[in-house]
Amino acid sequence: MHKRLLGIVLLILMTLGGSRVMLPPAGAAGAPGEITLGTLYASSGPFASISMPVYYGLRLWIDQKNAEGGVFVKPFHKKIPLKLIAYDDQSSTATAATLYNQLITQDKVDILIADSGSVLTSVAVPIARDHKMLLIDQTGTGAAFFTKDNPYIVLIADPVSSIWPRYAAEFLAKDGVALGIRRVAMVYATNDFTGTQASAFRKFIKESGAPLQFVYDEGVPTNTSSYTVIINNIRAANPDAVIELGYAGNDISFLRNLQDSGVKFKWLFAIYPGLETELLKKAVGTKALDYVYTYVPSSVISYRTNFGMSLAQFRAAWYEKYAHSNVEFGFNSVAGYTTGLVLERALAVTQSLDQLALRKAIFSLSGKLRTLDGLFQLDPTGAQIGEITPLGQIVPASAGGIRFVIVYPHSVATGKPVYPAP
Amino acid sequence: MLAYALLAGLLFGLYFTLVGLGLNLVFGVLRIVNLAHGDILMLGAFTAYWLFTTFRVPPLLSAALALPLFAGAGVPFYYLVVPRLLRSRDPEMLSLIFFFGLSQIIEALAAIVFGTSERSIPGSALARGPVALLHQTFPAAWVTSAALSGLAVLGVYLYLYRTRLGYLTRAVMVHWEESVASGIDAHRVSAIAFGAGLALAGIAGVLAPFMLGSVTPAMGVDTTITAFAVIVMGSLGSPLGTVLGGILYGVSLMVMQTYFSSWANLLPYLLLIGILLLRPSGLLGRQIRRA
Amino acid sequence: MPRRALSHVLLVLLPVVAALAILPFVYSNHLLLFNFIVFLTLAQGVNVLYGFTGYLPFGYVGFFGAGAYGFSLAVMHLHLAPLPALATGALAALLLALLLTPLLRLSGAYFAIANLAASQAVYQVVSNPSLTPVTRGPYGISLSGVFNPVLSYSVALLVLAGTLALVISLRNSRFGLSLHAIREDAVSAALAGIDVVQSRIVAWLLSALVAGLVGGAFAWRISVFYPDTVFSLEFSIFAIVFTLFGGAATAVGPLLGVGILYGIYNAIGISTPQYFQLIYGALIVGLVLFLPNGLVSVLRLGGIDVP
Repeated sequence: MHKRLLGIVLLILMTLGGSRVMLPPAGAAGAPGEITLGTLYASSGPFASISMPVYYGLRLWIDQKNAEGGVFVKPFHKKIPLKLIAYDDQSSTATAATLYNQLITQDKVDILIADSGSVLTSVAVPIARDHKMLLIDQTGTGAAFFTKDNPYIVLIADPVSSIWPRYAAEFLAKDGVALGIRRVAMVYATNDFTGTQASAFRKFIKESGAPLQFVYDEGVPTNTSSYTVIINNIRAANPDAVIELGYAGNDISFLRNLQDSGVKFKWLFAIYPGLETELLKKAVGTKALDYVYTYVPSSVISYRTNFGMSLAQFRAAWYEKYAHSNVEFGFNSVAGYTTGLVLERALAVTQSLDQLALRKAIFSLSGKLRTLDGLFQLDPTGAQIGEITPLGQIVPASAGGIRFVIVYPHSVATGKPVYPAP
Repeated sequence: MLAYALLAGLLFGLYFTLVGLGLNLVFGVLRIVNLAHGDILMLGAFTAYWLFTTFRVPPLLSAALALPLFAGAGVPFYYLVVPRLLRSRDPEMLSLIFFFGLSQIIEALAAIVFGTSERSIPGSALARGPVALLHQTFPAAWVTSAALSGLAVLGVYLYLYRTRLGYLTRAVMVHWEESVASGIDAHRVSAIAFGAGLALAGIAGVLAPFMLGSVTPAMGVDTTITAFAVIVMGSLGSPLGTVLGGILYGVSLMVMQTYFSSWANLLPYLLLIGILLLRPSGLLGRQIRRA
Repeated sequence: MPRRALSHVLLVLLPVVAALAILPFVYSNHLLLFNFIVFLTLAQGVNVLYGFTGYLPFGYVGFFGAGAYGFSLAVMHLHLAPLPALATGALAALLLALLLTPLLRLSGAYFAIANLAASQAVYQVVSNPSLTPVTRGPYGISLSGVFNPVLSYSVALLVLAGTLALVISLRNSRFGLSLHAIREDAVSAALAGIDVVQSRIVAWLLSALVAGLVGGAFAWRISVFYPDTVFSLEFSIFAIVFTLFGGAATAVGPLLGVGILYGIYNAIGISTPQYFQLIYGALIVGLVLFLPNGLVSVLRLGGIDVP
């Protein structure tokens, strides 16, 4: 009888003791109900066309994750739903600054994500640093943001401006010289994004030692919309290759003016035929884009991925969700989605939600994460040195369409460049 | 290169003459600062864009349509708003603010309807192939718009100097109160001038996608400033003055683009200030505006 | 100090400054409060020029930007401490104002447009890539080592207090009255013995000084900016609209205008942004049609003497 009582008592004690061990660790009792992400977007003004696609791409990722119950957050061993708080800065830096502050001080977001483009990201850099919040920089590629003494910034989806032109410059120095290119003309809009790229072009070409000479090298104000005289001046310098660096509006104006002037360049490079192909197709027509060289963005190349949707899957999901909107699918939409993927991986491996722990988690992905945007790789200051876009040429395809031919680097090339342009 | 810049400046400048012409009428007659002028122009551009992409309407036809459309909207708008503005203590300044608010409303509506991306129309819609002038080639659209601009200037000149209505308009331009005292229905004259000013802005807007390369809803403010520079450089109330101002602006811009391209946008402002200080009545000197 | 001025100080200056000094302890979006101070100061600066002398400075932001760049250049090249650098910024704005004094010969819309052209010209010069070694051109300023949100906020608040004191003194002084006289009818004022040209220049310089000081404080606070941030037309337009909305030539009018309109701007910006520009434009249009002399005109109709 005593033995049975003892046995029952022991059983009860063991059950209680065992169940104590089986209980989840105390930390889970403090798990937040949701992870708040704070970001800004520009629905109007000069940066709306690069901001809205990024915002929509990020939202697509968030909605997908929430449909699955949330993102797995390692410190709490469970999936937690995401909440997005997003404000409209209307392309104004002053408004953006107060709104970033609002997100941090009033809404107390867990993760701070910048708006698209260097200008709207720039105001966030000191604010994030001051409040010791990690700034998730999506597409702000200004080289000055990344300094050794500021750990509170990481660039996710675009290569930093000072190295972005690398493949294009290398093409000119090697393959271009072999094709007979000697005289180079460059016109660039005077702002941080394109000005830095212009400097990078000059630097890479000079360091390569190739026999290339800049016969025209001029900056124009960013709001230039009449390039006819400039085109004539470039033509007068008789270049073999022309590099035109500007925002989408500059590219559109340049290509239109070029088409109307009847001038033909043997080799022409511009940024946005690649980055915002749909927009440029609508604005200048496919004929104006034929034989133009440009960055081949991740919205065109199907990179081998080890995480997240592939390009085809993402494009399908995008059109299913956003077919009725007037926000274009393009590189920037991929960028927003990529930001989501990086955050997802980081949350799955981070030690805590502390900002520097998040930074460490994101850095741990460097060199390993391959998304539809390419290889994710950071330098020690947080600048993105992976995801560099190859150089490609737009060629006519059937039925009046266009397609991309990657011409450099040779390891990913899909064809040979057509030079001079017919 | 210089010859090209000068010729291009001439053509481009004539376009800006057209841009400034409507503003000149409105400012000259009403002393009303129409800060929404650039946005009316933008509406003209988007109307042409929409008609072209939806119905394949050729831009010249759109320009012809713009005339009754904008004038027809302008006249009732005048009666609704302007007499009230003129009664206030400081009509010039108040109209500045009022039309600024209006420009924001127009820009917001255009952005909601059309989106904020850049839009353009192929140059071939207006005229085919580059045109050779004096051994230099220019886009055909430039020549067409310069011709259209010349027609518009001629039209305004004939209106002001050869019609009775124009005669009355010039009287109102000189002195509002005196013309009312002489029995002129100043409000009627001004309403027609206002409508004409808007119509001219609309027509200039139809040509904008060809001259400027692309248009967006946000282009209004900069265009208005340039238009002011043009009419001030010329002189108030004189269509010929606007021609001069436009050409001066166009040539200076193109020459700067050739030799000092990154400073290209500075010169028009310096010109404006210089002329205002040295010859405040403009190059063709008419009204003196001394404080 | 005459009784009226003292009452104005007590009614207006002290409550506003005290409120802005205490609010950071209860409301944590300090940058928003700082922006309120900036706009309050700029509106009063416009008030000094427009309300008292009748010149509408559409290019007012030129002085603001000059102050910001003066501060930044002093820090970057002369390695000055923030306060002397702020003085340099103010000096830069004053020099610009002196340079632009000939513009005062123009009147009405001509002055407004010329002033606008002048500020755009300064912007073009500062942001030009050829001047990158001096002003960092289009790549923007990035000041390191002077970032101090608390001190820059306090200094900005002091600038606001000084500006309010200035406006109140103009409101109650002989000089302010003479400016009013010039605004109404310059010829009669000259006949009454007022030195028209000198008075205008003094008001012009004071107005520029205000903008220069607050521009320097702004640069100090945000420390990273592109040229178009500190030369944005938005600053001029907002300052003018806020002043007109509240009522120019009073000390209280611009404060009301900023408080209400800028408050609405931020509230809408956070809740229903897509129709934002539309609402704001409609507000401005309504203002002009129904309240052309500003909000204080309503108070004046009731017989209240508005400070």
